[in-house]
Amino acid sequence: MIQSIDSSACVGCGACVERCPLDTLRLREGKAVIAHGDDCMTCYLCEMACPTGAIFVHPFKEPFPTVFPPFLMLDQKGEAQ
Amino acid sequence: MKERTITRVATDVLILGGGSAGIWAARQAKLEHPELDVLIVDKAAQDWGGLMSLSGGDLEVTMPGEDPGEWVQDLVYYWDGLCDQLMMREIWEDSHNVFSTYQDLGLEFFDLPEGGYRSVPQRNLPHIRLYPYKYKGTGGAAMRDALVGEMNQLGVRRMGRIFITEFLKRDSRVCGAFGFNLVTGEAYEFQCACVVNASGSPSYKPTYNNNTCTGESILAAFRAGASLRNFEFLNIWNVPRQFAWEGQTILMPLGAKFVNRFGTPVMEPYSPVLGSNTDPHYLTRAMALEISQGRGPITLDMSAIREEDRILIRPQTGSQLLHYNKLMEEGIQFFTDPLEWIPQIQMVIGAIDADVQGRTGVDGLFAAGRCRSLDPGVYMGGFALTTTAVTGRKAGAAAAEYACGSDRPEPDRDPALQAAQVMDRIGREGSSAHDVLRQIQTLMAPYDVTILKTREGLERAQKGLDTLAAEVLPRLGSESPHYLAKALEVEAIAEISRLYVTASLFRTDSRAGHYRQDYPDRYEDWLCWVILHNEDGQAVPHRQPVPVEQYPYPVTGYYRDNFTF
Repeated sequence: MIQSIDSSACVGCGACVERCPLDTLRLREGKAVIAHGDDCMTCYLCEMACPTGAIFVHPFKEPFPTVFPPFLMLDQKGEAQ
Repeated sequence: MKERTITRVATDVLILGGGSAGIWAARQAKLEHPELDVLIVDKAAQDWGGLMSLSGGDLEVTMPGEDPGEWVQDLVYYWDGLCDQLMMREIWEDSHNVFSTYQDLGLEFFDLPEGGYRSVPQRNLPHIRLYPYKYKGTGGAAMRDALVGEMNQLGVRRMGRIFITEFLKRDSRVCGAFGFNLVTGEAYEFQCACVVNASGSPSYKPTYNNNTCTGESILAAFRAGASLRNFEFLNIWNVPRQFAWEGQTILMPLGAKFVNRFGTPVMEPYSPVLGSNTDPHYLTRAMALEISQGRGPITLDMSAIREEDRILIRPQTGSQLLHYNKLMEEGIQFFTDPLEWIPQIQMVIGAIDADVQGRTGVDGLFAAGRCRSLDPGVYMGGFALTTTAVTGRKAGAAAAEYACGSDRPEPDRDPALQAAQVMDRIGREGSSAHDVLRQIQTLMAPYDVTILKTREGLERAQKGLDTLAAEVLPRLGSESPHYLAKALEVEAIAEISRLYVTASLFRTDSRAGHYRQDYPDRYEDWLCWVILHNEDGQAVPHRQPVPVEQYPYPVTGYYRDNFTF
């Protein structure tokens, strides 16, 4: 997920804002900011578009909820084992 | 009702979604009828290219000299009979047109020094093969760039950040849509001759990249009168626990194997014939069984992949190379470390019921790509890039033909004004869409709801979704246009999940991507599609028998019979 934008390096060109599919980033007072960080899907389009390397996207994303039990195994007759 | 300024936009063919299907539809419409005005609206960034742009760019192609009928027969077997043979034949027949168009646009596929192209067989099937893009990492982005260039040349109009909430009708004909800009909050009423819905599969916003499509326009099509099909099928993927990895469908045919904590290959006991070289929907069943019996975690052993094949799997350019390098900076060697992989639900395969030209049965409404139903939940590498392009081409051509000489009727006013009332929600405080999405994911993720389904698990999910609809969704916040869009997405995901549970409870056999622990066998009287009809606003499931007697190939073999479960 997007982790940081170095505002001292950001030149406010808006390339990241324009490309983000999920409207995660916005331009405020001439600088790109993380406006809706929860929405980031780790596609790196912003980081690749940044001409000054100001953006860092971490390769990990928020984990999905557990998919383990409640879990019930049934036998061929549909009875709980 | 608040006074509201609504910007009216007129066009001939309105296309929802600027991914592979939408762009191919627009391109074909303009190629065949340059006099028409064609407009693509997308809720994400203009020209980002949809999920295609994040893909590897690999295609499934029936090459000249091959018999498309043999590819259809592979699918009849692979999909356990649930194959619309006539439609899939047309799609395979057109697949080489897509391949050669991409080549004409400058894309390079993995060619061989002796001539021809490198290909990778899929899922142990005799004929179907994937043709890899030459440079792993940027194939999808290169496709997007080439097609955007085409749209510029052809004069296709595009608008980004437009969230469509409802189709608008004049009597029974779809002739427009209501939407809003999720950044500025500007409201739009689109008026057109016809609509092509190319909005993708509804996802659960998982850790894989499928985070943009959430099914709201499939539901809008349903409200407009379209029927839905294949809702009992989910896309369930095996994924690394911590991060996404694009291009895994190519790993198994090249020799990768899932192993349990004892180092034993996971699939061999469940399918001595196929082993690991099969579809994630079968792999994840085995993973779930292994984990539930205490033999997890599951890791992916890629040591058997030959050195000369590694060029097909190691990212060379673009975001995939960036991702790979970042993982290394985190100390992760993707190809050699024993990383944990888990089953994860990605999206619902259920979609709009349409013919090969994308006609939905609702006058003026066409569907293309993943938001129109094709497959019963088992997948192959490169399938979607091919089928979205072909069905986009066909729907674009049919929609353009429809729009030629047609008027752009004024939508009925009362429903149009009613649709605009959604904007009144902006400014409302309430629960976070992100938190509610987590609740839906938690309800849907358990194995007995998705991978090894049981009536008990499905009814538990149904009860949870009912409670959510009654108590949680009405309190969703929509403080800004952005959060209104997020709230509408989550409402759609919840409703799509209810349709999934309805269809899953209805199908009392197991085939293709649907497995019921309490009905683990296949039954001849279930050689049927489950169709959800809109009956007074309710989704009512019906069986539609596969018309095998009208098809060229009998159903004689079943892929699912290769497995012990």
